[in-house]
Amino acid sequence: MADQTQDPAPGDALLVPVGESVTLRNTVANAIETAAEEGFAEAHFVTPVTWHHVGDVDRAAREAVRRLLDRVSVWADEDTPEGGPTVRTNVIGSDEYLFSPDDYAAVLAEYADEHEIERILVDPEYSPGGNVPLLRPMEVALAKRGFEVSEAPTSRPVRRSRLTRAGGALQFGLLFGVSFLFYQLLGGFSIVTGDSFDFFYELFSGSLAAGIVAGTLYTVSLSDRTRIRSLLPQFVRLVLFVPYLLYEIVKSNVVITYIILHPKLPIDPRLTRVRSAVWGGPALTTLANSITLTPGTLTVRTEGQDLYVHGLFAGAREGIAAGSLERAVRFVFYGRRTAAIPSPEERGDYEELQGPDAAPAPPDGGEEELP
Amino acid sequence: MNEFRLAAILALLAGGVFFTFVSIVGVLRLPDVYARAHTASQTDTLGAGLVVGAVVLAYGAETEVIKAVLLLVFIFITNPTAAHAVTRAAYEEGIEPWTEGDERR
Amino acid sequence: MTLAVPTLTDAFLAAAAVLVVLAIAVLYRAVVGPTMQDRVIAVNVLGTNTVIILALLAVALDSESFLDIALVYALLNFLMAVAISKFTVKRGDVI
Repeated sequence: MADQTQDPAPGDALLVPVGESVTLRNTVANAIETAAEEGFAEAHFVTPVTWHHVGDVDRAAREAVRRLLDRVSVWADEDTPEGGPTVRTNVIGSDEYLFSPDDYAAVLAEYADEHEIERILVDPEYSPGGNVPLLRPMEVALAKRGFEVSEAPTSRPVRRSRLTRAGGALQFGLLFGVSFLFYQLLGGFSIVTGDSFDFFYELFSGSLAAGIVAGTLYTVSLSDRTRIRSLLPQFVRLVLFVPYLLYEIVKSNVVITYIILHPKLPIDPRLTRVRSAVWGGPALTTLANSITLTPGTLTVRTEGQDLYVHGLFAGAREGIAAGSLERAVRFVFYGRRTAAIPSPEERGDYEELQGPDAAPAPPDGGEEELP
Repeated sequence: MNEFRLAAILALLAGGVFFTFVSIVGVLRLPDVYARAHTASQTDTLGAGLVVGAVVLAYGAETEVIKAVLLLVFIFITNPTAAHAVTRAAYEEGIEPWTEGDERR
Repeated sequence: MTLAVPTLTDAFLAAAAVLVVLAIAVLYRAVVGPTMQDRVIAVNVLGTNTVIILALLAVALDSESFLDIALVYALLNFLMAVAISKFTVKRGDVI
């Protein structure tokens, strides 16, 4: 990483927001090329980050970002010709929430103004909000602020859909194993109980079926990079989590049974929004599904880390505001030490969108950007 | 089959049928999509869970138990996900959640 | 699989019968609606009911293959709900 301290001349640098994406390598190469061609003195690679600043759970996330930027600077140095642009890398926005495309645009603009940058190049597959497509609206918001924004052309013949990510041998292997096991399960495990003909027949047909499934789908499922090392403790904690969840389900089912069978139907449904302190596909999915499974609460929609939760009655909403499920999910995915965090209500991450003390924003009918 | 196991199976069956009954009353009685999705996803899941529990107990220790448990896991994962998908579709179509005082739909 | 106690088979059959009646009751919501999502929810509940009826019959009729069908039906049921939710939304985009 070649840092230099003197201020560059105005408009003499290129800003590239980067994140984990399939076209990151291409984007870095293209950014350096563009910078060299157009005579920029510096190329800034920055990562806007969204983590919460509670506890030290985000150490893993910080580590991941640091490694990403290291990789970017290595690639950039590799590509930089003699006398080419100086490469800088930075993490921005680490002390604030970033949710809407405007938030991203704001922190990028702030950084750009600070360094007097006018030209921004974005990775076409960059997805700052995880599974929420913020890229296009972010570009528009940046362009509105007077920046010159363009997408790095990437040399891929087929544009892959958002669903697919680069899959590796590990993904293929895992999917193959699970499919093969499932196939044998439906066959009643005659691969081990039957005679030798059964064995070879089941082995062949099972491998064929699992091979087809894994071959076609390994880039789609398990889209996150799978880390074997953290998988096992997570699984153990998940097993601990299940009885707790079952207890919660049974407990609140009794309440909801009372309400439904009550002649007057004493419900008071309201839509609420919770800014959850978990991130990433599996953790967020687990939290959203656990909320839905616990009676009286239903995850209607997710938007980044925001969960729109429909609460059927006041007691159910209080449970969400107190955040016990959120703590449990943090325990499962990030470990025991991280479970002790303030509740969403104490953090100010909980609001009711309907009812007497509702926040002004009414539930919108999907006018904004959607996946 | 001993008495205790028999009693447990019958209790699970009764509980399962009861919660399924509650979920269907809920789907019929509650005022809007979101509220109905609550019982469809949750009470129904518990009802199904209890019934499949009875099936597992009835089978005792055979390979069918694995299938029954797998069935249980599927139901517990897919039911809330389906409810979420349906309500999200409703939300994106602009259906406002019913609140106290609105007309019943 | 031997079920020595006849009352157990009867209990499973009776439970299945009650569930069938309940499944017919929920058809009201599937027919009346009023929105497409209401119908999907009703059909989804109906599907879950079918799955557990199949599981009950697997025990009551002592035919294990019903469990396989129940498994596949549960997956199809889920797929149905998600597919309809995806494709009825006007933007017509998947995921």
